[in-house]
Amino acid sequence: MDPSSSRPAVVIDNGSGYTKMGFAGNVEPCFIAPTVVAVNESFLNQSRGSSKGSWVAQHNAGVMADLDFFIGDEALSKSRSSSTYNLSYPIRHGQVENWDAMERFWQQCIFNYLRCDPEDHYFLLTESPLTAPESREYTGEIMFETFNVPGLYIAVNSVLALAAGYTTSKCEMTGVVVDVGDGATHIVPVADGYVIGSSIKSIPIAGKDITLFVQQLMRERGENVPPEDSFEVARKVKEMYCYTCSDIVKEFNKHDKEPGKYIKHWRGIKPKTGAPYSCDIGYERFLGPEIFFNPEIYSSDFTTPLPVVIDKCIQSAPIDTRRSLYKNIVLSGGSTMFKDFHRRLQRDLKKIVDARALSSEARINGEIKSQPVEVNVLSHPIQRFAVWFGGSVLASTPEFFTACHTKAEYEEYGASICRTNPVFKGMY
Amino acid sequence: MILLQSHSRFLFQTLLNRAQNLEKGVELDHHWVEFDDVRYHIQVSMKNPHVLLLSVSLPTPSSETIFVCGLPFGAIEAIKAAYGNLVQILDPPRDGFNLTLKINLSKLPANQEQKHAFLVKVASIREVVLGAPLRVILEHLAARTVAPDLDPLVALVHRPNESFFLFPQADKVTVVYPMRFNDSIDIVLATSFLQEFVEARRTAGLNNTPPCSWSLTPPLELKEVPAANAGFVTFVIFPRHVEGQKLDRTVWNLSTFHAYVSYHVKCSEGFMHTRMRRRVESLIQALNRAKPDVENSKKTSYNRSFKRLSLKDSRTNSFS
Repeated sequence: MDPSSSRPAVVIDNGSGYTKMGFAGNVEPCFIAPTVVAVNESFLNQSRGSSKGSWVAQHNAGVMADLDFFIGDEALSKSRSSSTYNLSYPIRHGQVENWDAMERFWQQCIFNYLRCDPEDHYFLLTESPLTAPESREYTGEIMFETFNVPGLYIAVNSVLALAAGYTTSKCEMTGVVVDVGDGATHIVPVADGYVIGSSIKSIPIAGKDITLFVQQLMRERGENVPPEDSFEVARKVKEMYCYTCSDIVKEFNKHDKEPGKYIKHWRGIKPKTGAPYSCDIGYERFLGPEIFFNPEIYSSDFTTPLPVVIDKCIQSAPIDTRRSLYKNIVLSGGSTMFKDFHRRLQRDLKKIVDARALSSEARINGEIKSQPVEVNVLSHPIQRFAVWFGGSVLASTPEFFTACHTKAEYEEYGASICRTNPVFKGMY
Repeated sequence: MILLQSHSRFLFQTLLNRAQNLEKGVELDHHWVEFDDVRYHIQVSMKNPHVLLLSVSLPTPSSETIFVCGLPFGAIEAIKAAYGNLVQILDPPRDGFNLTLKINLSKLPANQEQKHAFLVKVASIREVVLGAPLRVILEHLAARTVAPDLDPLVALVHRPNESFFLFPQADKVTVVYPMRFNDSIDIVLATSFLQEFVEARRTAGLNNTPPCSWSLTPPLELKEVPAANAGFVTFVIFPRHVEGQKLDRTVWNLSTFHAYVSYHVKCSEGFMHTRMRRRVESLIQALNRAKPDVENSKKTSYNRSFKRLSLKDSRTNSFS
């Protein structure tokens, strides 16, 4: 037997905002780190041939700069403290944009964070359902060529999110995954483990937009936040204080009546001068997540609320799956973590469904009573890394190792083996 | 990152996290694997949140390495010396592991700095256990003696079923690594990396570092060693390399030399890919410039959600 299949597989879920990495069979990922690379680019900009004698030194410096980079939280703190490092975000809107940075990011994930030998482990990576086959090939190429992994499986993150709810008692592989990450929001219907590709909907509002909106609100109110830090502060405010309200007007009233109870304070230290500052956090606490339900307050380009998009998505799916899709709506991704997000979503969706049932009953004059449609939005405590957890569950089954693309296959056929995705063919 | 750190990042993070939230009882059951097949398992139960069970399994030793009760010689003493009475060795160890430690987190030193240092030490358990025989030999070197009851040739495990070799003498210790790699590209890269490595030793400013040599044939002292496809690396360690503070780092760097080379081989592959990608981009640019006229690409709002690779890109992907 292949010795690497006796070791746990490495599961890495690269999101636009955070990367979740760990070993299969565990409940939690080992590390959750921001997907960012700080590269030292000062060597690249040096004019060539300025001094011919020191080319050896320049060459050596250039080679060393290749190892002179950081990822994750270290990258953020390095770029803040010194100006020689430039931040680069390899993934945007759920798609890998900068392959150099991505390769370096994986290198550090494997050798510095997980500290494993990539030749010893099978790998499970994730991708968004809309990833082009070319980029899947590219991923396979990097994994097999650079890291010599014995086997690779690239899974669709929404299917993994559905698999996260998979237990021995209940194995429901039909449902709608509402995946709101930092860079992309996708609504993916899955029937019996098959992705219904034609009904995938995506909306241009995601976690990053909430951050930008919070930042904008705070800036407009004139809060005393240093401009170079304001994005980071807005992100922290979003993660710590934002919640979903049931009614926006009532919530404004509540805040106005009891400001002491609802208004929070943020304390920080200015990065340049080191002087402490503090600012208030008010309406943005509930207005941030509200952009999913009333997008017109944030952008004028896109004004369809999230519940309506989900409803449209289910209505476009095959008719015999719709009831079970309504019954199992699964949330995944860090931006669904706001308090009461699932309640609000369920209420709004139920309203739409009931209104439609009522109007169709009125049309046929109440002769036939239809059975009420059950709407269920599920939320679980591991929502933030549900995709990772699903991957961990999947990769700990013995079938996983047979479903992987292996190094031998790669050497025989080339990177094109990664073009087809076994998840679309259905694994369960 | 140029050198590998001696402590496991995840283990340290978990220990620190537990030590800071002692009152909060959590169920913790985590297992993971490090390079060279060192496996860890950590367990905390809800009932007893102060007690942390840490199990370690070591790479399977090859026939020439001596293991006493499943551990390298001197490991038990090294654990006792490093952790004192804060750590208890459980016998027998957890099923499938070589060693199980019971750490009582409520007895940690109150001083923040001492606590931190202790947790780093626990997280470097691998260095303590696997490096124990090496440490014994190097400590004798620092005292300019030869450890008694030792063979003239000592084999120490560093990878599953693979060992490196030491010739302890009173004034120097010679360390020989047979370098083996699985992949044919890795062998070529490792060979040239090691030649450069030996070459770099000769530059000024590195005069005090251990002398190092590389050859395809095994050194004369090693008669019946298994073949190594990327040659043999030899270091000569003098007493000045193991004085005082330097000992810890020397032990760590020597016991993970293979992992260090393999990490840098992977890094060089990544570096080459970066250069190749840049080259392809510049060639594509040159090709595009040569075209008589570029047809206007249609831009729709659909393109916003993902970047479409053109047909040309996909070709370069599959054939590069």
